Amino acid sequence: MIEVEKLSKRYEGRPVLEGINAVFSPGEVTALVGPSGGGKSTLLRCLNGLESFDGGVVRVGPDTLAPGDVRAQGEKVRRIRRRVGFVFQQWHLFAHRTALGNVTEAPMHVKGVGRQEANERGRALLAKVGLSHREDAYPSELSGGEQQRVAIARALAMEPEVLLMDEPTSALDPERVGALIDLLEQLRADGLTLVAVTHEMRFAYELASRVLVLHGGHIIEEGPPARVLANPHHERTRAFLGLGRVPALRTLGA
Amino acid sequence: MGRLLSYGGGLTHARRSPSLSQATRPSFLLPSVLALLALLSACGAEQDSGLSRVRRTGELRWGADAQGGEPYATEDPDAPGGMRGFEVELAEALARELGVRARFVQNDWSSLVPSLERGSFDVALNGLEVTPSRSGRILFTRPYYVFHLRLLARRDDAAVTGLDALKGQRVGTLANSLAWDLLRRSGVEAVPYEGVEEPYIDLEQGRVRAVLMDDIIAQRYGQPRPGLRVVGDVGEGYYAIAVRPGEEDLREALDTALGNIARSGELRAIFQRWGIDNAEQQRMVDWTDAQTREVLAPTQTARMGWGQLVLFLQAAGVTLLVSVGAMVLAIPLGVGLALTRLYGAGWAARLATGYVELFRGTPVLLQLYVLYYGLAGVLRLDPISAAILGLGLNYAAYEAEVYRAGVLAVPRGQLEAAMALGMPLRLALRRVILPQAFRVALPGVTNDFIALLKDSSLVSVISVVELTKRMTITAVDVRSWLIPGALCALIYLAMSYPLSRLARHLEARLERG
Repeated sequence: MIEVEKLSKRYEGRPVLEGINAVFSPGEVTALVGPSGGGKSTLLRCLNGLESFDGGVVRVGPDTLAPGDVRAQGEKVRRIRRRVGFVFQQWHLFAHRTALGNVTEAPMHVKGVGRQEANERGRALLAKVGLSHREDAYPSELSGGEQQRVAIARALAMEPEVLLMDEPTSALDPERVGALIDLLEQLRADGLTLVAVTHEMRFAYELASRVLVLHGGHIIEEGPPARVLANPHHERTRAFLGLGRVPALRTLGA
Repeated sequence: MGRLLSYGGGLTHARRSPSLSQATRPSFLLPSVLALLALLSACGAEQDSGLSRVRRTGELRWGADAQGGEPYATEDPDAPGGMRGFEVELAEALARELGVRARFVQNDWSSLVPSLERGSFDVALNGLEVTPSRSGRILFTRPYYVFHLRLLARRDDAAVTGLDALKGQRVGTLANSLAWDLLRRSGVEAVPYEGVEEPYIDLEQGRVRAVLMDDIIAQRYGQPRPGLRVVGDVGEGYYAIAVRPGEEDLREALDTALGNIARSGELRAIFQRWGIDNAEQQRMVDWTDAQTREVLAPTQTARMGWGQLVLFLQAAGVTLLVSVGAMVLAIPLGVGLALTRLYGAGWAARLATGYVELFRGTPVLLQLYVLYYGLAGVLRLDPISAAILGLGLNYAAYEAEVYRAGVLAVPRGQLEAAMALGMPLRLALRRVILPQAFRVALPGVTNDFIALLKDSSLVSVISVVELTKRMTITAVDVRSWLIPGALCALIYLAMSYPLSRLARHLEARLERG
């Protein structure tokens, strides 16, 4: 679905991503984990042209993004964005639109769907995320969890094949995380490809089919969550997961 | 300021116009403040009559405006600080007759009378026409010059044969002058100007059908223009010296002195030197006291009535039309400029910044002059269109900044979210950024519109009679600033207050989203 080849990016002379190669296959759920500053959010934003990069390519279906394409922000980038939705960490709902208005805005004005049809589909999506009763509420009137659900519905309204999510659990109460996982589980069952940056190991465990660990602009480890998170090979992954000192503790304790 | 412009005379020659800076202030304030000061100073004044004060100090202080231009009284280019003009020579001759020295006192022409009243100088001697409104307020000496009201038309416009042929037509002149009164009595649409060059420019451009002015002015500023011709002289009037009320002894002494220099031939010799002598001036020599009484006989003053109210409401309509028109132009232009500054290519953004700096950094009065008179050769606009265009272009610069601030206040994530949904930049701006920016900008826009409502009074310099101009015209007619001023203020308030209410209502409605 998405292929990343030799992707590299520097920021103020400092490498942020270095020679990243990765494939995100249809129906797969990938968790990007790693320490802060490791490059995971940057990689995520490169996947739909929100972030410029300096070398390598990103392939989405038939389209290939090179560094110049992102700078130009032309039709190719927009075509990719229609297939790859994005849910921001802070959601960024349109503050002047109701929940339903947020969901129908892009179908009507980007795809040219009629108002009635857009409203019907928008209501169905709000129902899917459990917010049928809130369609007339403005973002300022919604709780954090509700805003996130609207943001997911807004992205789904464009019928993307891939959904990118930046730290989806960071602004949620712990009890809300379970509900989000249930929702995403359902979307995966519908065939959606998911890529999420996360610090929440429970999220990675329960939902992801694969974990990528980024550190210093490199993918240092990848594999199924059960293997990577329970038995990391790389020293850095162990440190990040807080497992680095376990042998020492064992030695000291018993 | 005026010297910046190629037709500089229009601005420099401001004998009947307030200076640029003057015109930007409500002109009714100054006279009333000065009148108040005069009242206060009168309480503590020593009991010294006009003539004895002049004799005691040994000088006759005469007030005039050096910006008045030839041939009245101007700065002498050959002797910096010195003055020249027929009125300079007249003042010196009169002082000599009184046995004192003449001392010139610079004063803006439009405020000569109030300055005289408060005692800035002993006499005002600067082409003051004897009009009923003036002779009701101050003392006039016998006249020293008889002038004719000269009608000029375009050379190719043979249909203009006199005032009768001009009923209902636009004829330019100076507001509140003798010619102004005559035009209005003749059923002609009098178009008021504040300078002596501008009406002739407009006549050449076809924006007025004819111009009626004092012959001294017509001779210098109208007749030299090849496209214009003299239709004829249609009336006459007098220049006289103004003296403070209550100083009859000074007036009598000046009358005697004027009689002496007229009979000795000195007066006409001065006129000859300045090229303004003619056979008519013999009447100044043969003048009698009976004629003075006749010329200065009090006439009925116009009163505020329903007719005036209708004129005020019409003028308010013009103010509203100009303001709304300018704002309708300024808003989209301002949005375009703001977006170009923020999102345009480098050169376009610099161009937009240049526009904002240029139009914000130069006086709107200057812009109106350039647009209406300066570009008259290439862009022939009628006064209302020029007013709307000029104010619109100017206010667009302010609107651009208000919107730019509004756009910058919208969180960056909003644009990113729109782009992430596949919106092109233009669509994202139109659907997501601008509606939110407008909410932030609304108080600023309201504020600008109310400012514009009042700034629209500046367009009187391009001969549009809007509310403030109507007020000054009426105030001079009825010899009072109080009622016309209050009425004018009331109408402005009646226009701006509902607007602020509407804006607050809109803000409240937008608050929710």
